[in-house]
Amino acid sequence: MIEVKNVHKSFGDLHVLRGVSLNVTKGEVLVMIGPSGSGKSTLLRCINLLVQPDSGDVFIDGVKVNSREVKPEWVRQQVGMVFQSFNLFTHLTALKNVEIGLTRVKKVNKEEAERVARFELERVGLADKADAFPAQLSGGQQQRVAIARALSLNPKAVLFDEPTSALDPEFIHEVLDVMAKLADEGMTMIVVSHEMGFAKSVADQVVFLEGGTILETGTPEEIFNHPKTDRMRSFIGKILG
Amino acid sequence: MAEPTAAASDRARAFLKAHRKSFRNAGIGGIAAAVVFLIVYYLGLEGVYDLSLAARILPALFQGAETTLGLVAVVIPVGFALGFLFGFGRTSHSWFVRSVCTTYVEFFRGMPPVVLVWFAFIIIILLITNVEFLNVRIQDPFAFATFMSVLALAAHSGSYQAEIVRAGIMSVPAGQREAAEAIGMTRGATMVRITLPQMLRVSLPALGNEFASVIKDTSILSVVGVMDLTFRGQNIVSRLFTSPTGGSLSSIFVVWVEIAVLYFVMTYSVSRLLQWLEQRYRVPGLEAAQL
Repeated sequence: MIEVKNVHKSFGDLHVLRGVSLNVTKGEVLVMIGPSGSGKSTLLRCINLLVQPDSGDVFIDGVKVNSREVKPEWVRQQVGMVFQSFNLFTHLTALKNVEIGLTRVKKVNKEEAERVARFELERVGLADKADAFPAQLSGGQQQRVAIARALSLNPKAVLFDEPTSALDPEFIHEVLDVMAKLADEGMTMIVVSHEMGFAKSVADQVVFLEGGTILETGTPEEIFNHPKTDRMRSFIGKILG
Repeated sequence: MAEPTAAASDRARAFLKAHRKSFRNAGIGGIAAAVVFLIVYYLGLEGVYDLSLAARILPALFQGAETTLGLVAVVIPVGFALGFLFGFGRTSHSWFVRSVCTTYVEFFRGMPPVVLVWFAFIIIILLITNVEFLNVRIQDPFAFATFMSVLALAAHSGSYQAEIVRAGIMSVPAGQREAAEAIGMTRGATMVRITLPQMLRVSLPALGNEFASVIKDTSILSVVGVMDLTFRGQNIVSRLFTSPTGGSLSSIFVVWVEIAVLYFVMTYSVSRLLQWLEQRYRVPGLEAAQL
């Protein structure tokens, strides 16, 4: 489904990704952990080409996407993305935030776009907030609208970039619940998150990234309970407190 | 079928209710203006100033105000278009586009508007008189040169507006563009649908400032003989001086007060219009969230 092969990326002198490879099959949930600056966000952005990899390949459903023949706009319709700081369009209502990809990207007619948008809002439990503006919503509600927006284009996979780390503790659960439900429904997901409970119960695969390379990879059970390296062990110790 | 008249009166009532505050404020303002006017009129009747002069010069000043409005109708839209183009250009990824736009801004912002107006006028006149090709084709060199002076003033305002536009674009967080691109929107669509609406909201107060200032700057065009409000006023004042009775200081003051009031009315209307736009496109909850 999503295959990353030996991807490198530098920003100026900073060599952020040093040959990263991973493979996510259809319906699988991969959780990526690692210290800040380890390249997790950059790696996610290389998958939907918000960042262009310097070298290496990214395949989505067997199509090599980091090539001149593939339009980045097409890739982004295949893979949705949810951001740490929500990034809802502040001047649009929740409904319009979800609709805009349908009307402006997929060129769906207005009635159909509204129908789909209302359905997606319903799915994240916010049907009653359709007409609210982002600034009138709590962080948790904003992030759920952002998830609805990512789902509106009916993507094959969704990337989550620390979706709960900007949230007040009381709102973290409602977002994780929506994500767990999505995983249950068979959505392919790559999640950057340090929510261990979520990783343990939902992830099929956990990847530990450090210094732009994958240090360890395995099932949640292997990574959290039987880490192979000392570095992994100390990191797990720290995030579990 | 529902009676359309009933629906209309309902709507009118709802409208009145929703805008009760605005109507109240407008009423208070109107009454205050009327009171001030009556006091001033009374002072004229009492002979504190020359009331008949005040009335006599009005038609000429109105004509001047009409010309000024015409200038404003050119300078503001052209200035805004230039400001938008070059301000947007200054945020471009291309260094060439950026340099061209920066040069424009620095050049026009660095010149006093009166100098720009003269430069444009003189250059055009020199070109027309010395270049055979233009000489034959342009019937009325002075009208053409005057028009170029007006455009020079618009370009001056445009350089200020370019900075306002640039600041507005930069005020939209990068995450907004990233999110738009992440749902497959093209750069152009992101600009039009996401950056532009947010940037305009932020820029309205600063644009209002610039519009108010450019309305008054049109008076500079009187130096090249545009018969605007200031030009007409100055004419009246100089005729007062050469009149047999001689111009008293108080009658000169009357002329300038009327000019000032006319400029104020124009500036105030534009500022109210922009305030209305600001209200109209206010995003609920956003002010609180930004605190």
